[in-house]
Amino acid sequence: MDNEIAEVRDFIQAIPPFDQLPLNKIQSLINAIRICYIKQQQTLPPSQCEQNSLFIIRKGALAYYNKNNELTGKYGEGDICTAFCHTEHSEDITVETEEDTLAYCIQYQTLQEIIRQYPAVINFFQDSSAQRLKSKMSQLNEDAILASSLMNTDISQFYHSPVATITENSSIQQAAIEMTTLGFSCLVVTSNDTARLPVGIVTDKDLRQRCIAKGLDYSLPVSEVMTKNMLTINEGSRAYDALMLMTAKRIHHLPVLQHNKLLAMVTITDLMNHESQNAVNLTHLIRKASSLEELTQISKLLPKLQIKMAKLGTTADHVGKSISAITSAFTIRLIELAEQQLGKAPVSFAWLAAGSQAREEQFAHSDQDNALIISNDMKPEHDQWFLNLATFVSDGLATCGFIYCPGDIMATNQQWRQTQQVWHEYFNSWVNTPSPQALLNSSVFFDLTTVHGNEDLLNEVRTQLLTKTKKSTLFLAHLSRNALLNRPPLGFFRDFVLIKDGENKQVLDLKHNGIAPIVDLARIYALSQGISATNTIERLKQTAGTPALTKSSAANLIDAFEFLSLLRMEHQAKKLAANCQADNFLAPKDISKLEREHLKDAFKVIKTLQDARQSSY
Amino acid sequence: MWRHQFLFNWFFGLEIARKKAYLSAPAGPLKDYLSVPFPALHTPLSQLNLIALDFETTGLNAVKDKLLTVGHVEINNQQILLGSGYHQIINTQRELLADNVAIHQITDQQQQQGKPLAQVVKHLLKTLAGKPVLVHFSRIEKQFLQRACLELYGIAPPLPIIDTLLLAKKRLDKRDVAYDPSELRLSALRQHYQLPRYQAHNALSDAIATAELFLVESQHHYANATLKDLLS
Repeated sequence: MDNEIAEVRDFIQAIPPFDQLPLNKIQSLINAIRICYIKQQQTLPPSQCEQNSLFIIRKGALAYYNKNNELTGKYGEGDICTAFCHTEHSEDITVETEEDTLAYCIQYQTLQEIIRQYPAVINFFQDSSAQRLKSKMSQLNEDAILASSLMNTDISQFYHSPVATITENSSIQQAAIEMTTLGFSCLVVTSNDTARLPVGIVTDKDLRQRCIAKGLDYSLPVSEVMTKNMLTINEGSRAYDALMLMTAKRIHHLPVLQHNKLLAMVTITDLMNHESQNAVNLTHLIRKASSLEELTQISKLLPKLQIKMAKLGTTADHVGKSISAITSAFTIRLIELAEQQLGKAPVSFAWLAAGSQAREEQFAHSDQDNALIISNDMKPEHDQWFLNLATFVSDGLATCGFIYCPGDIMATNQQWRQTQQVWHEYFNSWVNTPSPQALLNSSVFFDLTTVHGNEDLLNEVRTQLLTKTKKSTLFLAHLSRNALLNRPPLGFFRDFVLIKDGENKQVLDLKHNGIAPIVDLARIYALSQGISATNTIERLKQTAGTPALTKSSAANLIDAFEFLSLLRMEHQAKKLAANCQADNFLAPKDISKLEREHLKDAFKVIKTLQDARQSSY
Repeated sequence: MWRHQFLFNWFFGLEIARKKAYLSAPAGPLKDYLSVPFPALHTPLSQLNLIALDFETTGLNAVKDKLLTVGHVEINNQQILLGSGYHQIINTQRELLADNVAIHQITDQQQQQGKPLAQVVKHLLKTLAGKPVLVHFSRIEKQFLQRACLELYGIAPPLPIIDTLLLAKKRLDKRDVAYDPSELRLSALRQHYQLPRYQAHNALSDAIATAELFLVESQHHYANATLKDLLS
């Protein structure tokens, strides 16, 4: 009997978590399917179906409502409804057909038997959103290590060509002179004939062990001390294979051959440092730049770096920290260049970064948020110097691609170029009388870091501030209410983002509807506990286990934050690679089914903690 | 002979025809089929147990043309049981015309590996016993099955048939608006109800497609119907 139904099989196979099942299990699932048709405005499960069942929507739409009859989600073709898999869950939630619906119904018990040997699939039905997100993140982190860079990168990304060589009849001394001149620790030794075939390799270590230590005459040919059976690797190999070979054989240099001819050289340092090296290199270049023109040139590498880091499977946290560090390097260099023109500062000051740069969560070419905090010794006539500094740096940053802050939160704005005393007063008034504007300011200025100058200036303001916020429940309540206005969407419905009250949006704003709500929550937790950290993950880690946040909630939020940031990083890398503006808008049709599930889980985690925050005030 | 019997069914009812045919049928699969009573005419829709059936044939003439494939699936309690799906190629013991191969995508080789007609009809009769058949445009399935029985057992049995084409036609005829006959095609009706597209000309796919159409058509327009209202 051949009852394979291609349409049904293809349909089921594309739906997570069934995409993880082998064909024979998919076939068992198909055999367990009962197709039913439910007219619109009916409550699930329909009378003809087993009550504890999984429903797969083949055509039509389901709407979920909570106890208060609020819409909590909508599901369309290819979505699965797990609401009736367990009896205990089905009471809080009502599922209704919003359109006439053709559904595949599978008895939950039968389903369990079919997927018994597939824990990942079972977990999908049993785990909470938070648990699913956690396993997704740990899987992603594992992937990052495995797929990291070296596994996927061709060795050509790392090798140097041409290779420094020396002929085999040259003396040991000539080799040493050559190495010293070039600054290399190794030379490939070639045959004397015109073919110049590689016959061995000589390193610093060989000179030390085989020549000097043995008192060998250094006028002897270099072939006396070279390593003859040198290991090589072929052009086209993976960088990972080169690293494994070098690690296993404890060698540091590996010649690369192309059709038995010497092509290039790869060293273990190149491979091991390559990830951080890019960022470090760039910072190094910035520090040496002597003009704005040079800095502008370097800034053009920033999007490329972000793309590269994203491709290498680096975490979003790592990218955010690297880009923020580079922005700081630009700022510091600009301040130094300004000082060369303007002379020394009349009194001590600190250049502050606010917002994402301060949180070390910046991505390439975001806008600049900065401020100046100046010593209380400042005299009115000094302001011109600081204005000049602010203008120079701010214009310089703009030239380097960091656009002016649309909200004018910049040191060029006199309001944000003030003495320490004034800043104390600012924070005092924001905390004491939390007006809407004050709350807006606080969300920017509670994430502050010193980029350059006297760190004590900010630290003193912050210490005083944190003692205040810790006690000011009124301020925290206002800040919370404000933060909670930014709700994540309910989920997806067909190719739309579903928001509260069933409205549809064309795109998902990853920043405002996902990342910012977590950043806001973390800030509130930190302020309520008097914690000075600004980085979101750091804030969540430090507040974990305090009255503000349980350890497991913190872990859930970190998973959600990392997942959303990762999506944003990948999205931006794609945009940048296509020479487009790196934005935060994701079209649902570009989000895979699986990613949608994880996004929904992340939204749920955020919503749970927002609700908890709401009820605590 | 079987045409005469058709009129007989019309006047005396399927159940009488079944009993009469049972008496004259030779022992074997057909007699077994005829030994099971058909469901009562007043059986409500929700309790009907149906077999959605589709044949692929080499042509439209039940005497000259051959049955190529059989597909069927069961509807029970208003649910289509995909696990009951059946698809079988029949060895017609003759070569297929190129035109037909293009439509059914069944090659000579596949066809030769199929089962003999007698074996498939035996299976069909066993499955259909006591259950109405659900078909879209029943002429082919009815004529080919009855013809096969006539050849194999000397008797064409009565078949209780629900035809989704006729159900839709009845509905459209009631409206006072002219319609194009092509609107009655399986794919057109499915599209009308926004049902998913299926690959046509696979007997099992078509049987499922017909079964789904029946679920939709009956729930929208025949919700309180009994078997009597649905039979063609």
